Amino acid sequence: MNENPLWVTFLKRTAVVVAMIIAFFPIYWLIATSFKPYDQWASWPPVWLTDAPTLQNYRIVFFPEAAREFATAQQGSLDYKVSGSAWKAFQDSAIISTFATLFSVMFGTLAAYSIVRFRTGGENYPFQFLTVRMMPPIAVVVPIVALFSILRLSDTYFGLILAYTAFTLPFSIWMIRSFIEEVPLELEGAAMVHGMSQFRAFLTVTLPLIKGGVLATALFIFILNWSEFLFALVLTAGNVITVTLQVANYVSASSGKLYGVQAAMGTISTLPVILFGYVIQRHLVRGLTFGAIKR
Amino acid sequence: MTTQDVDGPLTSAGRGWSRYLPRFNIMLVLPAQLTMMAVVIVPTLIILWLAITDWQPTQAIAWFKAEPIWFWNFYDLWYDSRFTNAVLRTLFVVAVCVSVELGLALGLALLFLDEWPWRRVAVSVIILPMMIIPVDAANAFFMLFNERGPLNHLISLVIGVPYEFSWLSHPTWAMAPIMLAEIWQWTPLMFLLVLTGLMNLPQNQVRAAIVLGASPARIFFKIMLPLLLPVISIALLIRSIETFKIFDPVYILTRGQPGGATETISMFMYNGAFVYFRMGYIAAAALLVLVVVISICLALARPMKRHG
Repeated sequence: MNENPLWVTFLKRTAVVVAMIIAFFPIYWLIATSFKPYDQWASWPPVWLTDAPTLQNYRIVFFPEAAREFATAQQGSLDYKVSGSAWKAFQDSAIISTFATLFSVMFGTLAAYSIVRFRTGGENYPFQFLTVRMMPPIAVVVPIVALFSILRLSDTYFGLILAYTAFTLPFSIWMIRSFIEEVPLELEGAAMVHGMSQFRAFLTVTLPLIKGGVLATALFIFILNWSEFLFALVLTAGNVITVTLQVANYVSASSGKLYGVQAAMGTISTLPVILFGYVIQRHLVRGLTFGAIKR
Repeated sequence: MTTQDVDGPLTSAGRGWSRYLPRFNIMLVLPAQLTMMAVVIVPTLIILWLAITDWQPTQAIAWFKAEPIWFWNFYDLWYDSRFTNAVLRTLFVVAVCVSVELGLALGLALLFLDEWPWRRVAVSVIILPMMIIPVDAANAFFMLFNERGPLNHLISLVIGVPYEFSWLSHPTWAMAPIMLAEIWQWTPLMFLLVLTGLMNLPQNQVRAAIVLGASPARIFFKIMLPLLLPVISIALLIRSIETFKIFDPVYILTRGQPGGATETISMFMYNGAFVYFRMGYIAAAALLVLVVVISICLALARPMKRHG
């Protein structure tokens, strides 16, 4: 298929460029809006590229003084939930996502090892974990709210960490399982001939071999946790706040959505996720298909 | 799916702790299993109870002491057009989004078969949408489809008169931005899957067909597509499941408004439970959804295993 005439190649490249523009445009608009001053947020005609770029939106995100200043200048008021600094949201999201990722990957590695090497629970057992990923989280949210209310777990770090761990376990188990399966059993066998227990053979021989895969799994799950919205929305009540909640909360009672501020918060909060995404780009396909499709 | 290529566990009775292996392997899955039970299995049991009550948190009665009303919730659900509409709407969204994603992904992937200098850069830019936090993506679409957004501006420039249609508050059209946001965000995943599949195709058959003078279209439909089928079916399955759960873009763009015209199942249940506080009623809806989803899972588990 290399003898395409020049115009076919030209059309193909043009189509690729169009796809690139469509893929990038909403992100461009988000970033562009984050630098717009207040009067250009929703003006008509819309401002495609601001002529007066400002960092005010970013300052409102991080400095409560800037938020107060803005509120007085617009005779409006910020929602009480976001009148403080967004640092709290970043801190909470970092704590929750990190611990949930650690638990998920640790538990997932142990379970995956047990499933691959001991065939624990038989053929159907791993599918039980997949079921969790198939059911809409909203379906279990009502009983989780009921359960957490008597366990006093709602609006705590631990409650969200628990929920995130459970809902990412299918990914960690299936992904790590696919990595362990790629390591020949003979390697562990050789170590055991030298007197190691099977579990130590796993820890000292197999685990170092798949550590790249486990790290990719961890980053992948961190992305999922950092981006999660529904559980954060229903299981918190102000004490704990995640970045996604903070983004959704930038609404003012008097002037509606605070486009610029929301865009600034959106841009910053999504940056780490994009970075991690490209780091594990090679493994994204494996992750999102539960290890079914490998590169 | 890969098959287990292990010749049975390496166990030899009598060597140290290996005598306790049956217990040891259970211990390894225990942390994962217990977490699952705390967050999934116990709540599922609670749903069974809540679904037959009329519990509302505003009544200040603990949920476990609520008055059972038996099967009235299900009766009400059956005649609740808002619920049935949400179900139908969700199925519609899944069907449209997933097939559009697949079509676009196939078309795009075909553009990437040969090598050219900035190919890797192009792939990286095209997969950018799937890296974005869904809430942020939805916010971007909220701005794009605003009455005073760039989309209406473009339309105005084309038709020559100011066009300020408010997409998000129109009962019929409000669904479009939601679905476009979903398609924009997840076509890249489908594209990556199809591209991976295409790159892994055995080249011999394609080359043989070229030598024999088959047309590109014929090669695509007769050779490539059948070979891609396993990848495509996994991609369709996973995207259908994920799209069925659609919540973030709906919440950010419309919250189910106007008048429930954009409520998907997840949005309907969120509104019912956390706006109208009808927890028992929503638990009944959740139970229905869970029963359907779990039976689909069981039905799918069999062919997926056979598929290896």
